[in-house]
Amino acid sequence: MKRAGPSFEMRMMLPALLVLASLSLIPFVTLIVMSFSHVKLMGGIRFENAALENWHRLIEDADVRSSWVTSLVYFALTLGVEMASGIVFALVLHRVGRGRNLLLALAIVPMFMAPIVVGLLGRFLTDSTLGLYAWALRILGFEGDLLAGKTSALLTVIGMDVWEWTPLVALVTFAGLSAVPAPLVEAAAVDGAGYFQTLRYIVFPQIRRVLLVALLVRAMDAIRFFDIITITTNGGPADATKIIPVRLYETAFRFRELGYASVIGILMLAFSILMANAFVRVLGEKGLTR
Amino acid sequence: MRRSNSAALLVGLLALLVLVWTLAPVAWMVVSSFKPTPAIKTASPTWLFEPTLEHYRDLIGAGNDVRPFARNSLLAAGLSTALAVGLGALGGYGLAHWHHKSKKHLAFWIISTRMAPIAAVILPLFILFRQLGLIDSIAGLTLAYLSFNLPFAIWLMSAFFADVPPSLEEAARVDGCSRWQAFWYVVLPTTTPGLVTTGVLCLVFSWNDYAFASSFSGPGSQTLPMAAGRLITQGGVDWGQLTALGTIIVLPMIFAGLAVRRWLVTGLTMGAVTGE
Repeated sequence: MKRAGPSFEMRMMLPALLVLASLSLIPFVTLIVMSFSHVKLMGGIRFENAALENWHRLIEDADVRSSWVTSLVYFALTLGVEMASGIVFALVLHRVGRGRNLLLALAIVPMFMAPIVVGLLGRFLTDSTLGLYAWALRILGFEGDLLAGKTSALLTVIGMDVWEWTPLVALVTFAGLSAVPAPLVEAAAVDGAGYFQTLRYIVFPQIRRVLLVALLVRAMDAIRFFDIITITTNGGPADATKIIPVRLYETAFRFRELGYASVIGILMLAFSILMANAFVRVLGEKGLTR
Repeated sequence: MRRSNSAALLVGLLALLVLVWTLAPVAWMVVSSFKPTPAIKTASPTWLFEPTLEHYRDLIGAGNDVRPFARNSLLAAGLSTALAVGLGALGGYGLAHWHHKSKKHLAFWIISTRMAPIAAVILPLFILFRQLGLIDSIAGLTLAYLSFNLPFAIWLMSAFFADVPPSLEEAARVDGCSRWQAFWYVVLPTTTPGLVTTGVLCLVFSWNDYAFASSFSGPGSQTLPMAAGRLITQGGVDWGQLTALGTIIVLPMIFAGLAVRRWLVTGLTMGAVTGE
């Protein structure tokens, strides 16, 4: 006998959905309204109608465009290096015999660290007067401050993010590797396949989906975070590390142009929704959350 | 024989390299926090020194008392985690068992709120919190953290609930349990690892947050990562205190994270990659 009213499942979800809706839909609508307004903060918050002004401004804004370019470079390099080194880490750790679990535990330490601490630690290590890494680089013949040069600053902040999140890719890949059926690998060996041939034709096809999930999870976070850059270079030198979230934050809270910042935010949001879509689609292959 | 030996050697060397790359910075931070200041401020690294607790003491005493920051961090992260786990468990169960053609859309909406860029979320929340008087309050931070913890918790818990065999619940129903009783007394206890993992990860996410805290908090609600940010000033950086504070911020979360290591892959991929 079915009772009238919402199902048990719906009633279970309702509290969470109500809270989530008020934390996401209301801000979302506010963001849209802000993007068509001049937002005044002095003497109480006021929205003044700006029609399409913020949006027009975006079209002509070369600074924002260059921030998008920086973001995409940052995005591609971070993800590329993290995927490549994460896979290598996982392959290495997977081949270790004794002490494998301990090694894996130690190797994932960075990802529990607050990004702000990672950034500060990065500054500490690369500080040209007292940093451990700066000292090592000096021995190798590199002088100067890594965070001061345009290219080196971007590479350094990318390096910090890579350091923190490569372990996640490694951990997920490792789980994928552990799930590859051993007989398959053994059969390949019997057939005379070398290590790399086995990887190419047996292992990688098996863990493809796992790798894709790792990539998407990292991609979603790579657009979200900006703590490390905020605390290390804050976008400099000469905008070299001014990825779009940093630009947005500066526009809103330094120049107090919240309306215009909202326009930038909406574009970021659109970008992240594409990512979320891809993520859900990949899951859909095996039937979303069953 | 010789070939496999050299392969093992190569693997060993590479593994060592991985460990040095990941652990050297953390180890250097922890070691530096026990160094006297002159031993930190040298152009070539000091390896031998007499350990001191002065930097830790400085963080409790006088000018740079971090205890209020620690309290704010604990409160905001703890409250947000508790709420996320509670609501997330109910919502996750509902989502796992809800069979409806809009399920896909609902699930997508939930995940998309988790993936929203923080910088873009801060803007409207800043305005709304200003209106509601939530700026510089623990409640505001708790809500802000909930905006990313709750969707995460719903997804993750739903992945854990989907793995509970339906027969368990059916048996309880046959024995006369209501659906709520079956959930509360039978299904929920079997997902304890899920609850703990969800809780730990939510705690880590909110404890580590800097963006929300720096936008919404004021003198009365600053958290530990903000205390760390404040140690960098125009006049230079007190690296002794900073490494000590970094150690304090980081160690509890490392231990918490490692404690749920078995379920981490499920957790960090929101259940997308389970044991299979």
